[in-house]
Amino acid sequence: MFNNFLKIALRNLKRNKVYSFINIIGLAVGMAVAMLIGLWIYDELSFNKSFQNYDRLAIVMQNQTFNGKVGSQTAVPYLMADEIRKTYGSDFKYVSMSSWNGKHVLSFGEKKIAQSGNYFEPQITEMLSLKMLKGTRKALKETHSIILSESVAKALFDKADPMDKLLKIDNNFTVKVSGVYEDLPFNSDFQDLNFIAPWDLYINDNNWPEKTTDPWRSNAFQAFAQIADHADMDKVSVKIKDVKLKRVSKVNAAFKPEVFLHPMKKWHLYSEFKDGKNVGGRIQFVWLFGIIGSFVLLLACINFMNLATARSEKRAKEVGIRKAIGSMRSQLIGQFFSESVLVSVFALLLSLVLVQLTLPYFNQLSNKQISILWTSPLFWTSGISFSLFTGLIAGSYPALYLSSFQPVKVLKGTFQAGRFASAPRKVLVVLQFTVSITLIIGTIIVFQQIQFAKNRPSGYDRSGLINILMNTPDFKGHYNALRNDLLKTGAVAEMSQSSGPTTGISAINNGYEWDGKDPSIQGNLGTVAITHDFGKSIGWTFAAGRDFSRNFSTDSSGIILNEAAAKFMGFKDPIGKTVKADGKPYKVIGVIKDMVMESPYQPVFRTVYMLDYEWANFINLKINPKMSSSQALAKIESVFKKYNPSAPFDYWFVDDEYARKFGDEERIGKLAGVFTVLAIFISCLGLFGLASFVAEQRTKEIGIRKILGASIFNVWRLLSKDFVSLIIISLLISAPAAYLFMNNWLQKYEYRTEISWWIFLVSGMGAMAITLLTVSFQAIKAAVANPVKSIRTE
Amino acid sequence: MIQLKNIFRWYNSGANRNFVLRDISLDIKEGEFVSIMGPSGSGKSTLLHLLGMMDEPNEGEYLFLDQSVLKIKEKQRSELYKKHIGFVFQAYHLIDELTVYENIETPLLYHGISSSERKSMVADILDRFNIVGKKDLFPNQLSGGQQQLVGIARAIITNPKLILADEPTGNLNSKQGEEIMELFKTLNAEGVTIIQVTHSEKNAEYGSRIINLLDGRIEKV
Ligand SMILES: Nc1ncnc2c1ncn2[C@@H]1O[C@H](COP(=O)(O)OP(=O)(O)O)[C@@H](O)[C@H]1O
Ligand SMILES: [Mg+2]
Repeated sequence: MFNNFLKIALRNLKRNKVYSFINIIGLAVGMAVAMLIGLWIYDELSFNKSFQNYDRLAIVMQNQTFNGKVGSQTAVPYLMADEIRKTYGSDFKYVSMSSWNGKHVLSFGEKKIAQSGNYFEPQITEMLSLKMLKGTRKALKETHSIILSESVAKALFDKADPMDKLLKIDNNFTVKVSGVYEDLPFNSDFQDLNFIAPWDLYINDNNWPEKTTDPWRSNAFQAFAQIADHADMDKVSVKIKDVKLKRVSKVNAAFKPEVFLHPMKKWHLYSEFKDGKNVGGRIQFVWLFGIIGSFVLLLACINFMNLATARSEKRAKEVGIRKAIGSMRSQLIGQFFSESVLVSVFALLLSLVLVQLTLPYFNQLSNKQISILWTSPLFWTSGISFSLFTGLIAGSYPALYLSSFQPVKVLKGTFQAGRFASAPRKVLVVLQFTVSITLIIGTIIVFQQIQFAKNRPSGYDRSGLINILMNTPDFKGHYNALRNDLLKTGAVAEMSQSSGPTTGISAINNGYEWDGKDPSIQGNLGTVAITHDFGKSIGWTFAAGRDFSRNFSTDSSGIILNEAAAKFMGFKDPIGKTVKADGKPYKVIGVIKDMVMESPYQPVFRTVYMLDYEWANFINLKINPKMSSSQALAKIESVFKKYNPSAPFDYWFVDDEYARKFGDEERIGKLAGVFTVLAIFISCLGLFGLASFVAEQRTKEIGIRKILGASIFNVWRLLSKDFVSLIIISLLISAPAAYLFMNNWLQKYEYRTEISWWIFLVSGMGAMAITLLTVSFQAIKAAVANPVKSIRTE
Repeated sequence: MIQLKNIFRWYNSGANRNFVLRDISLDIKEGEFVSIMGPSGSGKSTLLHLLGMMDEPNEGEYLFLDQSVLKIKEKQRSELYKKHIGFVFQAYHLIDELTVYENIETPLLYHGISSSERKSMVADILDRFNIVGKKDLFPNQLSGGQQQLVGIARAIITNPKLILADEPTGNLNSKQGEEIMELFKTLNAEGVTIIQVTHSEKNAEYGSRIINLLDGRIEKV
């Protein structure tokens, strides 16, 4: 019996090529989308899971209250790990301080590479359960040691044995390679941890002023922890709440530091905090794409059902005959299910091919390294059961509906399945276009929001601006000489230094006082150290006062505020006012127009700019606009080589870095865009099939109308009219739904675009145009057919 | 074999009842060859569909092999039909997607007959109807007479006790019609009960009894 079902199913597919093509392609595309999204979600959910101690690792965080606002941060004082070990030792297996993962120059003889890595305490090897390829997990016990990832070891030593070789970090520390570990997985937060050096080396070398004065004052480091095997993460987290409060000075106690553990489980998907509470993060995208994926798949299933019911009139006769020659209803149901499952199995195979082909692009778009899990039983069971399920769902309507036909009615020709089935069919089409139009509107709004933030004036000139990190000591004290040499090449219009790149505020100081300060306000402001030429190199603009100048020796105790800072301090006329930073008085000499250094979606943070040649160790270069950048870069590199032959010339364009601020949103927008296009494609495919069946069904009617004098336009309108009203209904449903959803989404951006009415109009018109295009093809084909011929088909 | 008692069949149109069959009572014994005649619209097809369990009367009783057809469950009725009845249509009603061979084979599938047995049974009947050469053709490649032969082959392949034929020769020329009638005669001689609807006096004569319908009533028995 089953063989026969299969044979007939195959033959039916072959006989109705257009129908089969639409069904299989539509379903395959839907499945491919669902599969890609499924793999993406799987990847998101398995983030960091490769670490053996996944359940017990955490990062130590703290909440602090500034002017009534609770902020959460991972930055903690450098004694944090010690204190936790001392006081709560039994709750923790390991605690390790660390610096921040960042690029450093590793040199071995003549060979130099810039690699990102970090400084940790020795127990990190156990915490991250590093797979040691050379050496042991005790490899960091020695202060002047380093362990390398496999790929870094290969880059530095190729095939030679790296063990016991002497390296230099940033041309500063000399360390001995004491181990090599397997590269950490890409889908983990430690993907860039390419080398690990001992924390002691780092903390003892640098002259941290805080170490001596007040070790609990500054939050400049990170602490990672692994709780004890039997311990409960939540309980331990609550327990350590006051570990910092007990130690800090009275001034800092005012910020109410509350320490807690943020478990590794939540790092990736729940990374956002609001008012000191963990409020989610990327998990929203997991939900969003999960919903989109299900919807796209639903659209494909709807096609399947729609086309099957549209064809039911044709197949009704077959059902009648089969019943008349002895088929039981269950056998007919079996037959229809075989057909739909066969289609879905074909679609599954095709979708595997599609996914395999598109994965490279998808990975690029989503910044992932996903592959089809060919060897995973979970993948196959879910893939196959999913395809069976789709087949059953998609086939259920025709299977249950068609098989219920009464043979007499069908065979006598009084039965008109098309008419009975047209109501649910309309509902399905409306559902399809509701989803499609919602996606169109959503995508437009996402891109509009990105564009809106991009168009926001950044307050400085990024064109031709490059940043160079001076992570080796070779430039120290050569500022003027370096600047003169660079200017002489003609490649550089201006050079300056600052304590951080213009694309971020790296330091916030809590210790500001000023004239007329309300004592209840806490004086925390962003702080950027710069050189005299900073303003000229980045092209900032002044709202009041003037820039730093070498003509005024008093400028060393001058200060420049941004507008947000002037407002925060409550100055009506800020110029000449005194501002104290940690007790040291400065005079305000200028106020600049707000500069977007942090998120382009948030208001500009109050920030103070002061002269400090020691602290400012980022180089900002404004390339001469009259020279091509490749030419200019070559000249700049030669100057840098002169000062520091030991470091690779590592630079980046500020514009690129600025663009990265939009990376997440753009990625989401692009993905949503791609899925929208596919959703529309699938819907149109279904519409096309549907239109062709309607046209076929009405062949005779159209023939008669034409003989009676209907024009091609009349016929076209007759056939397209129904679809147009369906689109209008869809628009009426999707517009408010999309508005609510997107309005909610926009709320998380303080700087956000308005949702304007034209978006809905454009989306509706777009959907309408696509629909008419799709339907018209069939309608016109039917309209121009020879009427005599079509009447004879009966 | 068949007993109809006071059968009524009507359709509602608005407040009115349009009677198609009125008070039909009828006995048909096993081995009979009955011809039903009557003008168009007199209810012949409706009666045949009732006999074939494809339709139900609004009133009355129907016994088939001493079982009350109207009182048993749909599933049992389907079984009863499947086991004992073959239906031949005026419009042949072959499945367009299947070949001659497969059309004839299909009822055997529904009877759960094994593949090897199916092969020999279909081969036998193709041979008997002289259509071996056509077995791989599709219905639209055959003439009307050939299609009806296939339709009859399909109806009798499961060895039904009763064949119901609704104007089986209606779309055929007289020579083709004669062939079909001869075939029915042979089948009847082999013990198959046959009830046919026909417009042709000549074809009706093949039967052992003629029933005349007029306005849904049996005129004379
Ligand atoms: N589904 C239906 N609804 C209403 N009237 C019907 C229906 N089917 C058949 N009839 C009516 O029943 C009558 C008998 O039909 P039928 O049995 O096909 O006649 P015959 O086969 O003798 O030509 C006709 O008048 C026809 O209009
Ligand atoms: Mg009739």
